[in-house]
Amino acid sequence: MAGAAAPIRRGSRAATLVTSPSLRLIGRRVLTAVPILLGVSVLSFWVLDLIPGNAAQQLLGAEATPEQVAALEQRLGLDRPAVHRYLSWLGGALTGDLGTSLSSNQPATGLLWSHLAVTGELVLLAFVFSLGLAVPVALLAAHRPNGFFDRLSMIVSIGGLSVANYVLALLLVLVFAVQLAMFPAIGFVPLGESVGENLRSLVLPAGAIAFPLFCFYTRFLRGDLVDQLQGEDYIVTARAKGIGTWQVLLRHAFRNSVFGLITVVGLNLGTLIGATVIIEQIFALPGLGQLLLQAINARDFVVVQACVVVFAVVAVLANLLADLLYAVLDPRIRYGGR
Amino acid sequence: MSAEPAVEPVTPDVTGEPLLEVDDLHVRFSARGRQIHAVNGLSYRLHAGRLLAIVGESGAGKSVGVRALVGLLPHSAHVSGSARIDGTELIGLPERELRKVRGADIAMVFQDPTRSLNPTMRVGTQITEAVRAHGDVDRRAARDRAVELLRLVRLAAPERRFLAYPHQLSGGMRQRVMIAIALAAQPRILVADEATTALDVTTQAQIMELLLDLRRRLGMAVIMITHDLGLAASYAEDVLVMYAGKAVEYAPAGTLFARVRMPYTRALLGALPVLEREPHTLLPVIPGQPPDLGSLPVGCAFRFRCGLASDECVAAPPFVEHEPGHWWACWHPDGRGADG
Amino acid sequence: MAVAEVATALRGQSRRRGRVRAPEIVAPAAILAVVVAACFLGPLVLPIAEPVGGNVLESYLPAFSPGHLLGTDPNGNDILSRVLHGGQSSLVVALAVNLIGLLVGGTLGALSGFVGGKTDTVIMRLLDVLIAFPSLVLTLAVAQSLGPSRTNTILALAFFSVPAFARVSRAATLRLRELPFMAAAELCGTPAWRVLARHLAPNIAPQLVTFGLLGMGIVIVIEGALSFLGLGIPAPAPSWGNMIALGQQSLSATPMLVVWPSAALFLTVLTFNVLGENLRSRWSRQ
Repeated sequence: MAGAAAPIRRGSRAATLVTSPSLRLIGRRVLTAVPILLGVSVLSFWVLDLIPGNAAQQLLGAEATPEQVAALEQRLGLDRPAVHRYLSWLGGALTGDLGTSLSSNQPATGLLWSHLAVTGELVLLAFVFSLGLAVPVALLAAHRPNGFFDRLSMIVSIGGLSVANYVLALLLVLVFAVQLAMFPAIGFVPLGESVGENLRSLVLPAGAIAFPLFCFYTRFLRGDLVDQLQGEDYIVTARAKGIGTWQVLLRHAFRNSVFGLITVVGLNLGTLIGATVIIEQIFALPGLGQLLLQAINARDFVVVQACVVVFAVVAVLANLLADLLYAVLDPRIRYGGR
Repeated sequence: MSAEPAVEPVTPDVTGEPLLEVDDLHVRFSARGRQIHAVNGLSYRLHAGRLLAIVGESGAGKSVGVRALVGLLPHSAHVSGSARIDGTELIGLPERELRKVRGADIAMVFQDPTRSLNPTMRVGTQITEAVRAHGDVDRRAARDRAVELLRLVRLAAPERRFLAYPHQLSGGMRQRVMIAIALAAQPRILVADEATTALDVTTQAQIMELLLDLRRRLGMAVIMITHDLGLAASYAEDVLVMYAGKAVEYAPAGTLFARVRMPYTRALLGALPVLEREPHTLLPVIPGQPPDLGSLPVGCAFRFRCGLASDECVAAPPFVEHEPGHWWACWHPDGRGADG
Repeated sequence: MAVAEVATALRGQSRRRGRVRAPEIVAPAAILAVVVAACFLGPLVLPIAEPVGGNVLESYLPAFSPGHLLGTDPNGNDILSRVLHGGQSSLVVALAVNLIGLLVGGTLGALSGFVGGKTDTVIMRLLDVLIAFPSLVLTLAVAQSLGPSRTNTILALAFFSVPAFARVSRAATLRLRELPFMAAAELCGTPAWRVLARHLAPNIAPQLVTFGLLGMGIVIVIEGALSFLGLGIPAPAPSWGNMIALGQQSLSATPMLVVWPSAALFLTVLTFNVLGENLRSRWSRQ
């Protein structure tokens, strides 16, 4: 809408926001995220710390003497009760101290920070690729349901949803790195070094993550758009006004689909961050996934624990963010019921 | 429930060329080889400025028959026959041309104002969109026009309502917004498709009064689609009764209700609850079920539910003008008066 | 509204007609039967070499070599045999994980939705915690700490199938509770377990089964990922994931080492997805 002219004022938006139900909703959501985050940390601590029970033994190898094991356990504080260890770990975690790596003696927090950027860039690129492609494709498909393009996109997308991303990654390497030599097969060039080379080194890994995601978003969005076009009365109203088909699709159907899409994107971030582990391994990218795998192989449970918690926290926060975005964008929530 | 029509009688040009001529309209839906015959040879005339009520049970093809005129049906619909507005044929027009008819020649108000407005779009935007769909109007002029329309449908504080979202309005207010949208391009025919059914009785009367008033002021013809014969009797000038996708009786309202001919219309009339009914008696209902539109019977579709049916009814009765201005399709027209 | 009624009527008709023949369901089901038969019966009835203990002198044989239809891998093992045996472990793991999810998660979700109140809140909060986890990451950690084996893989993955099934089952239960026949059964004094078993279970089963079919595909992919990273089925034993990992090392020279297990993985997952998707859209129409 154009800027407000004489008789029509938008009213004080700030004032409506303060009293609006959005704030209350945001408060509620943030509050429910706290126990989930706590639960996640307890669970990861429990799984990684209590199930094996003999972290020190594993660390030292089978031929270590019981005395050596006991000494290490004492040094790592493993002889203390689990609850104590959890609480002191949690206390540290809340102040940003996730412990010291067993294999490199560096603080885990610092290690995580140094690997976070690569994974973040990878995930961001994957979202840009997948959403950037899925939205136009879904719109074109929904423009003529059951038309040629629609059927084609549906076949491609169910196929794409059935490809494991590591298979796709190898296929991409085979075609675009080995055969066509357009992109490097492995390795990473930091953003600070060369923006072009940095992007070149991330195109294939991001593509491998993005394609199944693109298929998923296309299916979801196309389905939602078609459901609206066929089932919603406001679509009939819009058409009865005499506006064009594309306008109906974009201004009415798509506008309402965006809210569902946001939620789905938020939910996906959790799974997506898991997918980066294997992709980073294939393309030798120095991200969180690589850090995690190295830590697993080195039996460095402090770093493993830190990685798992960070992955989980990101997933919970992404979910929360999607909820909040929804609350801010959807006028039915923003302005409350009558 | 039926208030008196509060409008001084308009003097429509009934003798001249009709505004809308529908002839032998057929609508058939098909999916996977099976077919639904929703409208089966519907014909009627609508003169400029008149108020025509199309009456029938659910599934009679009232709504489908009108939506077919402007191509507002799903892709599975096959429309054939003829419908001319001012002599221009509508059936078979390409989407691009039909778009010009929608809103500008024929505009519609639907049953459920809650579901018919886009929940995520400001009311004002939904109106300006309709204003700008026809005619080259800049944003500002469209906005002024939209506020004017909101005032026209007697919505209090139109400037403020312009910025509201549908869920912030009451049902009656939403329906007023729907009417404002319909009026945006100054249509010649306004279709009110069960426009008051979802509203409570008081609001219903207010909306009907508004529609009648607007019709008078703007000189539109109105097609009122309803299952409520009482509503038709109170407000309509002409009444068309539909059964199984066909017109079965048509007359000016006064004529029709004074001399009901078609047994189906009589049955509908008999099924209306009235105050004079003895307490503790069962409400009369029309026995049986409406016919299966997937496989229509030959002959009169009502004969299985009709007390007067005979062997003759196996042949379809023609829909013709038996008395001046009074059409019906029946071999055994009911001779009794409305109160007989 | 009339238009909606027509749509419903049409839907009813197509369903009646569809019940006689449903190629979109029969076809993937048949392919699936062929895949299962090939993996489990193929090695028994076909003249195929053992999947392990191959002769290194026979390594890197091309496809259509005598005795090795798809050739051999760097260790001289028959690829066809490894693909079929690898399929066995993928299918067994996927089936076990989804059955555990279906039985444990399905029951938990149904109970949670049926009982409602505090119990529901507590169970759902616990499940939220599990769902918040990026499944692959924790599975990796668990697989590492428990040591790679088929049983541990199943246990680690079940961690995530249980809450997923519980969610679906709870949502379906809540939707059913709204329906009059459930209230009627309760008002008649039918014992709760009977309502659950006789009225609830048969009605949520279709949704859980379709979800399970889609879940089969997901678990096969994750199991492949674990094996690919060396944390699933331990190395000499065949699995699609470790075959792909082995092939990756010589990707440019012998891409077929990756192609065969990848094709098997893709075909199996695709079939499960198509079957699940078609069943879902079929049941959702009813």
